[in-house]
Amino acid sequence: MSDYITFALPKGRIMQDSMELFAKIGITCPEMKEKNRKLVFENKQDKFRFMAVRATDVPTYVEYGCADIGVVGKDTLLEQNKDLYEPLDLNFGYCRLVVAEPKALNEQDDPASWSNIRVATKYPNVTERYFAAKGIQVELIKLYGSIELAPLVGLSERIVDLVSTGATLRDNGMVEVETIAEVTTRLIVNRASLKTKHERIRKIIEGLEKVIGDTPKISE
Amino acid sequence: MIPKGVKDFLPINAVKIEYLKSSLHSIFTQWGFQPVTPPSLEFLHVLERGLGSELKECTQRFDDRQSGKLLAFPPDITPQIARVFATRMQEAPLPQRLSYSCRVLRHTEEQAGKDREIFQSGVELIGHAGPEADAEMISMALECLDQLNAPDYTIDIGQVEFYRGVLDSLDLPEDQIAKVQNAILHKDSSGLKQQLENIAIADQTKTEILALPRLFGARDVLDRAAAVVNNDRSKRALDNLHAVLKILEVYGVDQHITFDLGELRGLDYYTGVTFQGFLTGYGQAVCLGGRYDNLTAGYGHAAPATGFAFNLLNLLFAMPQQLAKTVQPSTDALIVSTGDSSSQCHLLAQALRKQNYSICVENQHNAEDARNYALKMNFRYLLTVTAATEQVEVISLDGAPSQTCSIADLTNGRISL
Repeated sequence: MSDYITFALPKGRIMQDSMELFAKIGITCPEMKEKNRKLVFENKQDKFRFMAVRATDVPTYVEYGCADIGVVGKDTLLEQNKDLYEPLDLNFGYCRLVVAEPKALNEQDDPASWSNIRVATKYPNVTERYFAAKGIQVELIKLYGSIELAPLVGLSERIVDLVSTGATLRDNGMVEVETIAEVTTRLIVNRASLKTKHERIRKIIEGLEKVIGDTPKISE
Repeated sequence: MIPKGVKDFLPINAVKIEYLKSSLHSIFTQWGFQPVTPPSLEFLHVLERGLGSELKECTQRFDDRQSGKLLAFPPDITPQIARVFATRMQEAPLPQRLSYSCRVLRHTEEQAGKDREIFQSGVELIGHAGPEADAEMISMALECLDQLNAPDYTIDIGQVEFYRGVLDSLDLPEDQIAKVQNAILHKDSSGLKQQLENIAIADQTKTEILALPRLFGARDVLDRAAAVVNNDRSKRALDNLHAVLKILEVYGVDQHITFDLGELRGLDYYTGVTFQGFLTGYGQAVCLGGRYDNLTAGYGHAAPATGFAFNLLNLLFAMPQQLAKTVQPSTDALIVSTGDSSSQCHLLAQALRKQNYSICVENQHNAEDARNYALKMNFRYLLTVTAATEQVEVISLDGAPSQTCSIADLTNGRISL
């Protein structure tokens, strides 16, 4: 088992983008192309294993060593603050973590005067840290999706959420107020794996470093 | 109900912890280390002199009604050993080799799976500044992992002086240094690049800093590092690592060694070589150690020192299969009687215990019940004593054929189990 390198990849678009990138350095998995509902795929010849997991679970699998390497958005890393290595910015899946509010509120609003605000978000830890650093008290409402809905129905005045093109915000009558962080997809590595499988992992990191694009790419 | 972050250990795991503790202790003894037992309570203001910022944050403390001062449960044993050495062993000849096996408490964030109670078994070598002492610590840690039959392990060596040499020429406010350190700690090259973009620094310094997250791997790290750095402090650190490596080669343990010069854990505490033991597939270090030449001075008696400690629970969870194979809660024999022969049972038990067997006596009359109980409780043998005939039926519970012999044969050791 331990001579395998195991990847934890988030299901969906990031997984496709990752595999495209990995293919450039010769890491492939023909088994993945078969149409089925498997969650674990193997390339027995090259000793690679790939697990399809939820994006927010990727850091957990890697931290506990179930996967040696993971691919995950910087937003998830910021939120979970796990003890991991993140040696590479893969430069795709670019988006921004922003504070947004309804257009009507924005027209008469001054962020400098915020003192006690209510914010709906998928990212309570990041949000709390961001506002705490500015000395603003914040009442957090943790949601799991459709964050833009919260101000429309009066659940909160403001939201903290990911924005890539800004279309969803616009369609729901919201505008960005502040950017908390720019987000791209990262390669993360388990601490013990980096030490005990350093030869293979260093080859992967150095290989990828050469084929990663220079400008951040938005994944649509 | 018990609080989060602490655990009850039932026999199946408790025997493994005991096994780990005693195996490590016997290796420590073979290398000439003498045990010390520090107390589980200290005055916070005294203990704090020897704590790095990280450990200070997670110290469990409370108000002492007796003294009116704040007390603390030690979060680490090393500062206590430093205190004991500096205050109680000032006249002792150097070097001193001390060992310990204790539990410590640490405050943790409310997260699943983080232990607040840590079982530490470790050693401190005080009064020896040379690379031989660092090599001794690393060889010992490797021998421990070898003796415990750890699968696929590595001791990963760092040198904080290498990093300090690189950062010496960087004159930045503390919060910026912290950001740079955090990026290096996570090997986040792109984040590090971003940090440095906004700072006016010499190209050479920039090259040195940006190299840090990639300076990990086999011994070629030392050559790669030598090619990058151009400051004396870092070069001395590399010389020191070469000297340590040379001794490790003599012990023939260098194939289990990796290097990581971007490893900054415990930066405010360590002063030279640091190392961590890892087992494949387990994300946390099972052992931590390094040189801390400034620690005992904090308690009034300066001496160079180095040491390491194993985290027994991390070992327990990092190698469950190997431990399950070697250690099981088991007892050699259960003695039961047919009819009224309890005095013979007790005499037989006494004789067998003297021969170093572990023995229980039960007055269970139903043969079937006795056998089931013995099987479930992992006894190796069931001995059924019949008083009238002075005979014992020796039933092997792991499948070997049973036999019958006289009580006397077992008592005087003519027949062994």
